[in-house]
Amino acid sequence: MIARMPGLVPLLWLFTQSLALQVHAQSSDNEGMPWFQQNADSEKYAVILTGAAASDEIAGRFQRWTTELHHTLRDDYGYDSDNIRVLHDDGQGIDGLTLAGSSRVDDIADALARLQGEISSGDQLSLFMIGHGSGRFGDAKFNNVGPDMTGTDLAAMLEGFTEQDLVVVNTTSASFEFSRELSAMGRVVVSATRSPSERYDPMFAGYFIEGLKGQTADLDRNDRVSVLELFNYAAGRVAGWYDEQGRLATENAVLDDTGDGLFSREPGLNAEDGLLAEIAYLDVIVPEQAKTSPQARELLADMQSIEREIFILRNQKQNYLEDDYWRRLEALLIDLATRTRTYNALP
Amino acid sequence: MHYPEQKFPTLMSTISLLVVLAVPVASFTSSPAWAQEPVTEFDTSAQASLDRGNELLLRGSYLAAIEVFSRISDDFYQAQAALGLSQAHMETGQYGQAEAVLLRAIDDPADSPALATRLAELYMKTGRSQQAMLMLAEVIDGQLNPPVRTLVQYGLVLALRGDRSAADTQFNAALERYDGGLVFESADVAMVAVAARELNEFHDANALFSEAIRLDGNNLEALVLWGDLFQEKFNDGDAQTNYNEALEINRRYAPALVGLARVESPERNLSRALDANSRNVAALQTFGELMLRNGREEEGLGFLEQALDINPESVSALATLAARAAMNDDMAEFDRLLQQVNAFSPESAGFYASVGEFLGNNYRFTEAVEYARRAIDRDPRNWHAHTVLGGNLVRLGEEDEGKIHLEQAFDNDPFNVLTSNMLQVFDVLEEYATLETEHFRVNMSQRDAQVLWPYMAPLLESSWDRLVDKYGFEPEVPVVIQVFERSEDFAVRSVGLPDIGPLVGICFGKVVTLISPDTLSANWQEIVWHELVHVFTLQMTHNRMPRWLSEGISTWEERQGRPEWGRRQGLDLIRAVQQDQLLPVGNLNNGFTGANSDADLSFAYFQSYLVVEYIAEQYGFDDLLALIHEYAEIREESEMFHNVFGIDMETFDAGFRDWIDQRVADINVYVHAEDSPDEGDGHGHGVRENSSAILAELYNSESLKQYMRGRVQREPRDFQAHLQLGIVLFREEAFDEAITHLRTAHELLPDYTGYPSPALVLAQVYEAMGNEDAQREQLAVMLENQQHDFNAPMTLARHALDSDDLEQAAYYIDRALAVNPYRPEVHRVGAELAARQGDTARTVQEFEVLLTLDQNDPVAARTDLAQAYLANRQPDDARMTVLRALETAPTYERAQQILLHAVDQVGNQEDN
Repeated sequence: MIARMPGLVPLLWLFTQSLALQVHAQSSDNEGMPWFQQNADSEKYAVILTGAAASDEIAGRFQRWTTELHHTLRDDYGYDSDNIRVLHDDGQGIDGLTLAGSSRVDDIADALARLQGEISSGDQLSLFMIGHGSGRFGDAKFNNVGPDMTGTDLAAMLEGFTEQDLVVVNTTSASFEFSRELSAMGRVVVSATRSPSERYDPMFAGYFIEGLKGQTADLDRNDRVSVLELFNYAAGRVAGWYDEQGRLATENAVLDDTGDGLFSREPGLNAEDGLLAEIAYLDVIVPEQAKTSPQARELLADMQSIEREIFILRNQKQNYLEDDYWRRLEALLIDLATRTRTYNALP
Repeated sequence: MHYPEQKFPTLMSTISLLVVLAVPVASFTSSPAWAQEPVTEFDTSAQASLDRGNELLLRGSYLAAIEVFSRISDDFYQAQAALGLSQAHMETGQYGQAEAVLLRAIDDPADSPALATRLAELYMKTGRSQQAMLMLAEVIDGQLNPPVRTLVQYGLVLALRGDRSAADTQFNAALERYDGGLVFESADVAMVAVAARELNEFHDANALFSEAIRLDGNNLEALVLWGDLFQEKFNDGDAQTNYNEALEINRRYAPALVGLARVESPERNLSRALDANSRNVAALQTFGELMLRNGREEEGLGFLEQALDINPESVSALATLAARAAMNDDMAEFDRLLQQVNAFSPESAGFYASVGEFLGNNYRFTEAVEYARRAIDRDPRNWHAHTVLGGNLVRLGEEDEGKIHLEQAFDNDPFNVLTSNMLQVFDVLEEYATLETEHFRVNMSQRDAQVLWPYMAPLLESSWDRLVDKYGFEPEVPVVIQVFERSEDFAVRSVGLPDIGPLVGICFGKVVTLISPDTLSANWQEIVWHELVHVFTLQMTHNRMPRWLSEGISTWEERQGRPEWGRRQGLDLIRAVQQDQLLPVGNLNNGFTGANSDADLSFAYFQSYLVVEYIAEQYGFDDLLALIHEYAEIREESEMFHNVFGIDMETFDAGFRDWIDQRVADINVYVHAEDSPDEGDGHGHGVRENSSAILAELYNSESLKQYMRGRVQREPRDFQAHLQLGIVLFREEAFDEAITHLRTAHELLPDYTGYPSPALVLAQVYEAMGNEDAQREQLAVMLENQQHDFNAPMTLARHALDSDDLEQAAYYIDRALAVNPYRPEVHRVGAELAARQGDTARTVQEFEVLLTLDQNDPVAARTDLAQAYLANRQPDDARMTVLRALETAPTYERAQQILLHAVDQVGNQEDN
């Protein structure tokens, strides 16, 4: 099922890759780390699956999220409209959107099969699921018109995307068991809930889209939003909402990007998951007008090198005494800031 | 939940054995407790009568039981009949008859140990401990193995009479008997439990009571004694369960009713107890204490007098009277009562501890400490006294010593919920920050230290200066203020138990406890001010000021503090006058002690405030000050009023009533009898909701509209009708008509502060009409009187900033901070204002708070703060803060620039 499985990736190595990608300059020696290496030649596709709603009010909310997600990807993240496939309920239209079909199982299978024929190797496909879910252990479903789609069904439909990077964001209730079926090496899977018992409609999707809009979730200020940043933003906002309401949280989002089916509540530094999600960006890369003078190219290489050192140091924080860590980090950051200032001043 | 069963291993093994042994033994005994006389022959009819009598006794048919027992003539059953008969007489307060029955039945006490012990208990109940002691000594001397009950009762009488060591010998003998496997009956096991309790072996006492009930679920005495143990340890829930179990068996069982009265519905349960036994000393004494607590002095003293007539050796009743004498500085009376106690119980530690507890409960903490110390001097093992001492030291701000005594009490009596709770709060406080200003030492959570403290510190000191100047008095410093995040911790710190009702702040004189504003929706600054005024008035009177006046002055001062502070309960006042609810000034304390609801309590505050306002308005502040000073002395309230105002209380009260009538006439609003009063939490601190108007907001009811139109036609000054009509019309988008009624409502009662107010609804109407200027105008009108709203000042602050009116912006930001400093948006606006004013220190402050509050974007929060540090010439802080931002976002160019500037500034500073 997983075609590009290189075996386990050393942690430090992965960070180095992450750094290279963050400065928009792909390194040439990526044979051991084949995922999420999009460049200006890569295309990005999105499939939005919006299921059946339990009431008109909920249907309105699902439609609003679908529209907002579609427009944000198109307007703020550079997606070609043709590359966003919306599969909605029983196929009824949504103002301002061109539908690719209903979210019946057959239509989903057809749409994904068609997309498989269009998508190229190295492209990225993000699949967003909006709707209700239900499930017990081993029997999780996405509530769509007609027979409900199981996690196993969708996993089979995605099997053909062996040459692409996949991000799955399942925002439905009781989404966990379903999401676990989709877990695979090199794939980032986000689930709005962490157990089948979390069966109330989650707020996660709303905050996820909020984080996307205007790059609100861009925590590291690199003008790009990674799946990890989005996850952390939305999960944090959900927790904050429940806290503010004084209510016990009935949803806890989780993420898996190691393919082991073991999801993390707090992915990121020092966690099992999060390293791949950190380099999985949702935006389409736009070619930059690079500065071409020899000094600029040298400075850019230096900056990339320093940034790499910063990531390495940060990843080894626990190995340093507190003062020593900050002293080293400060020296690197001053160096980076100085060179960035110089680089910016160049024509 | 009952106590966890933890006992000594030896005792535990014995209990287990007895469970097995007790069942067959019990099945052969007809009378539960006293079947130890030799058996020779049976008279089945007498036996049946005895069983019937015992059953009637158990179920509370005391008179029928007396009749049945009286008819038993068989010699063989005489002793048991006498026991039943005497008990029935005792349960109905016929102590004389009970005594006569017992005396007739006893030839030689040593030969009739059960009867003699019962007689001794009767002597104890009627204040004849000396006779009881002699009687029990005779039984014990004459018996090789005296009954367990005799041993324990003898121990109790010896303990009462001050011979603790001899008492302990008897208690230990009872325990040894049990350990030897020789105690089988439920009643006797309960007595062993009493012995364990007296030896401070509370684990064992608990287990033994449990065992006694397991052996006989109908053992009422054991159920109540066990309940009393729970109650003594402030475990009201389990106590209540036990009392109720007893009452299910016998609803007239007075000891259970008295116990229950200490937990719930005191007057009702005590009345029921006295219905069953009008001479029950515990009921009379508890009733007396209740009446005194509620300010019903005469009735209270009457009950205590009755209790002492029956039992002149009631230590509790004597201690209550002595404490009352000490409260009034009547030391001659105190000494007389002390001598009375000393006559039968020399230097009783329990007496001193009870006096200390009473004084502490009446805010006389210094004296409470003194008496608790005397109790401990007499008996260092009196753990109750240690708890009283520790609790009152804490209220005086003597935390370290207080904690030592509480720990001592807990180590030896870990079941005392009050002690355990108070110690747990010390653990909470250990995690709290301790902050100081010139006159205050404040404990608050780390979060509050970050968010609240920057705004509280200047408020405390500026309030201090104003009040010192106004009252010409400087309280003892430092004043300790403790701000609790959890209302349970606040309650425990304040009263020892986790439920305190609607209170949000309490002042003990030198110590103030508050609920963190994070858990309130009220103006926290007004609450702080209110409590600080208490610090002054309580300290000025050595904590002798009555609650009504102290609350009245603090509430009156709210209005003096800031224009928008204070309570405006015009409708409540009119309603109270219509319903004749106003209390005479001399009885105002009853408004607090006798409050049956939050609304009652809230009105007690309001009326007290009105009296103070009347004094200030009619007589002047100097006379109010003079009245405060009067309360520093011990005098009759009427004398104090005469000294200050030159008139008696009745005349003062009449003047106050006239003033109130005039005020009602000035308000001149019609209040319909059907309208509900506004309701709110925090006894007046916080929003009070107009539930009728809220319902009108929710429904567009045609019938409601017609009804209100009718009311307005009949009574054009019907405020509530105009308001509700305005709301309904607004919902129907009949804006012009809505505006007319809402404006009329506002003109009728311009300072109305309930939610929703006419001004608030008008603002909403104008918003719906798209008239933003008029909307803001109404919000500003609303804020003249409504101090608990956050959104309106924020709207006005943003608009003022947009209009470059920085002064107005500052005013409204302060108004929002006074309600909720935990909302990030108020600090963002505050930071913008400070930056525009060039107030770099304030900008830093706002961003520091934001760093705590706004967790969504820590990189931005740190970068903003670093920028503010840089502007405020704090380059080192800027450097360290921006490093943390760049750690997450190393390519963030704005942060990079700040880092470079900060490093430059640090370098320049070092060069200079």
